[in-house]
Amino acid sequence: MTVYALEGLTVTIAGGTVVHGVDLAIAAGECVALVGESGSGKTLTCLTPFGLSAGHAGGSARLCGQELVGRPESAIRRLRADHAGFVFQQPLTALTPHLRISALLTEAAMQAGGGRPDAKALAAMLARVDLAADLLPRYPHQLSGGQRQRVAIAMAIAHRPSLLVADEPTSALDAVLRHDIMTLLGRLRDEDGMALLLVSHDLAAVAGHADRIVVLEQGRMVESGPADTLMQRPAQDYTQRLVAAVPRLDSPPPDLPATGAVLLEADAIRVTHRGQGWRSKPFDAVIDASLAIAEGEALALVGGSGSGKSSLARAIARIGPMASGAVRWRGDSLPARGGMTAKHRRLIQPVFQDPVASLDPRWCVAEIVAEPLRHLRPDLDAGERAARVKAVLNEVELPAGYADRKPAALSGGQAQRVALARALACDPELLLLDEAISALDVLVAGQILDLLERLQRERGLAILFITHDLAVARRLCHRIAVMEAGRIVETGATDAVIAKPAHSATRKLVEASR
Amino acid sequence: MKTPLILLAAILLAALLGPFVTPWTHDAIDWTAIRAAPFSPGHVLGTDSVGRDLLARTLVGTRITLAVAAAAAAVSLVIGVLWGAFAGWVGGRIDEAMMRIVDGLYALPFMFVVILLMVVFGRSILLVFLGIGAVEWLTMARVVRGQVMALKSRPFVIAAEAAGAPPVTIVARHVLPNIAGIAIAYLLLTVPQVVMVESFLSFLGLGVQEPLTSLGILVKDGADDMDIAPFALLLPGAMLVAILVCLTLIGERVRDRFSA
Repeated sequence: MTVYALEGLTVTIAGGTVVHGVDLAIAAGECVALVGESGSGKTLTCLTPFGLSAGHAGGSARLCGQELVGRPESAIRRLRADHAGFVFQQPLTALTPHLRISALLTEAAMQAGGGRPDAKALAAMLARVDLAADLLPRYPHQLSGGQRQRVAIAMAIAHRPSLLVADEPTSALDAVLRHDIMTLLGRLRDEDGMALLLVSHDLAAVAGHADRIVVLEQGRMVESGPADTLMQRPAQDYTQRLVAAVPRLDSPPPDLPATGAVLLEADAIRVTHRGQGWRSKPFDAVIDASLAIAEGEALALVGGSGSGKSSLARAIARIGPMASGAVRWRGDSLPARGGMTAKHRRLIQPVFQDPVASLDPRWCVAEIVAEPLRHLRPDLDAGERAARVKAVLNEVELPAGYADRKPAALSGGQAQRVALARALACDPELLLLDEAISALDVLVAGQILDLLERLQRERGLAILFITHDLAVARRLCHRIAVMEAGRIVETGATDAVIAKPAHSATRKLVEASR
Repeated sequence: MKTPLILLAAILLAALLGPFVTPWTHDAIDWTAIRAAPFSPGHVLGTDSVGRDLLARTLVGTRITLAVAAAAAAVSLVIGVLWGAFAGWVGGRIDEAMMRIVDGLYALPFMFVVILLMVVFGRSILLVFLGIGAVEWLTMARVVRGQVMALKSRPFVIAAEAAGAPPVTIVARHVLPNIAGIAIAYLLLTVPQVVMVESFLSFLGLGVQEPLTSLGILVKDGADDMDIAPFALLLPGAMLVAILVCLTLIGERVRDRFSA
């Protein structure tokens, strides 16, 4: 039985058509994934028929046999409340912050006309999403990201909807949580015979879970079909590129450049963060972590969010606090954060996750890239500096003519190239990549990864690559260090660790990445 | 956006240039025209109870009031930005201590503090500038501290550290330019507050001294005689209201633009 069907759905915003004719049908118990890059119109496609976006729908959208397009708002609201549930990307902002979990669930259970649930019913709602009943009196900010998303799902399915619309439900979560949430959604679908409409920019995240996949590009349907067929034999050029850009754990091992002598050793690093206020207790973000990186070697630092990866890397690069421990560079001890001279700063350069926030919004590209040159290469005059900026922008394949732009006029991928150019300007020997491609669309991330591969080869760069995605780590890295709760729990050659994970945290990561 | 700007510019221009072209100075007494009504010969807007030209006195009063406001706002900007930026950048215990000092000062009845300063150090216009500026910086310090703390953890600031920029350079080149818009907006909202405080002090007889005048003194003098010569109250009063409304409207628009 078809629960939800779109026929020639169009979406117009302020007179412009942004979605051009999307067809799809979801039967009970089926999962359809709507996949596309940011700006492809996937979220508008799924929310507009329900009156949940600023756009105006055309064509046809039928929910449980009833037409949504052209209906008055009150009728749409009724249908939405009775038959549909919604889960959104940001689990924190999707929950009302001043309400306890019990109040949120009560509201959700009553919205479709149900009675007020008692404590037992509320506990049962949490049990359905694998949460314990003792979370009921808590507030959303006291929950972890994964718990919040589970609560959001419990709310969305409280009235047993026929259709669950999940808009990027796992994009804000790390690989392990992503896997857990997708498994949970699959189980709920089986139990209730619920239809699931999944929206994602990440083909890899939905491929294993969806029955059928619809690919959108710039508001147009490029291809749709059964997930297996589409992943193995994509017909359209765009889909082929999308599928090819998905890093896989089972692809042949990459040919990595040779490594040299030990470059950097970090010994028993401990990072302690002070809590808020006078009397709060400090907590240890990193506990006695040791690692070593050789010349030309790429080391992946993997682990869930909050495991201390970034704190450790920043302590090593001397751009974050460090409570105790030692860092040696080619055997010589590296000075503390405040004592880093230009000579030392030049060696390690970082690139961060959010490409736009990494660039000062008031500076233009050329100024941004010239900044490290000005401080770390005082021997260069203005002309040499400009030449160096031009060369390095060329090296990261940023089109000429972008040098005068402000960050706001750059796309995510272009901004990340600028950040990379800034890091490379002074010829560092170690590049610190802090989730440097996680915030980018799959195709753009693939391009940046190709660029990094080339730079690694051409410059003989050593890389400390922070990620929660093993498949990405595998493309670039010789070795892997796995972190959990501030400690490094496993270190080894990439393929050996993936093939035979020794620690439970590693096993979970490997399983989540398959 | 245009109207309050044009009106304020006109008031500013009149206050700066007006006293040079009026036939009477603000302290000259016309013995032949005491309490002259508006539009009497020689005195377009009449005179006060001792025969001084009201137009000249209002223009000079506006000038003094605006000068005090500008100077006090500048003092509050300098102290507020330095204090707030330092606390926000350094963080930790020092930040906590500095902000508790601000909280403490907030708790003081600030008019009382200004009056106390006047009593201890004697009345001078310089002290009015400093006294008002020294208590108006508290809000500025809080706003700047919050902005600096938010910017401090932004990747581009950390990247600047990795690029070898010393802390002072990072604050001057990356942090302060990015909070300038919000700081200016709050500065514009501080000015009308200062105008109010100055007028109130002058009204109490603690601010500017005769024969120099300010809008507050004119309102007070006018209020004494309002049953027989209401115009002497209405004119400086209207001027004060016009300045306050214009400054508040401009300030709020600038703030909305930068905090969006």
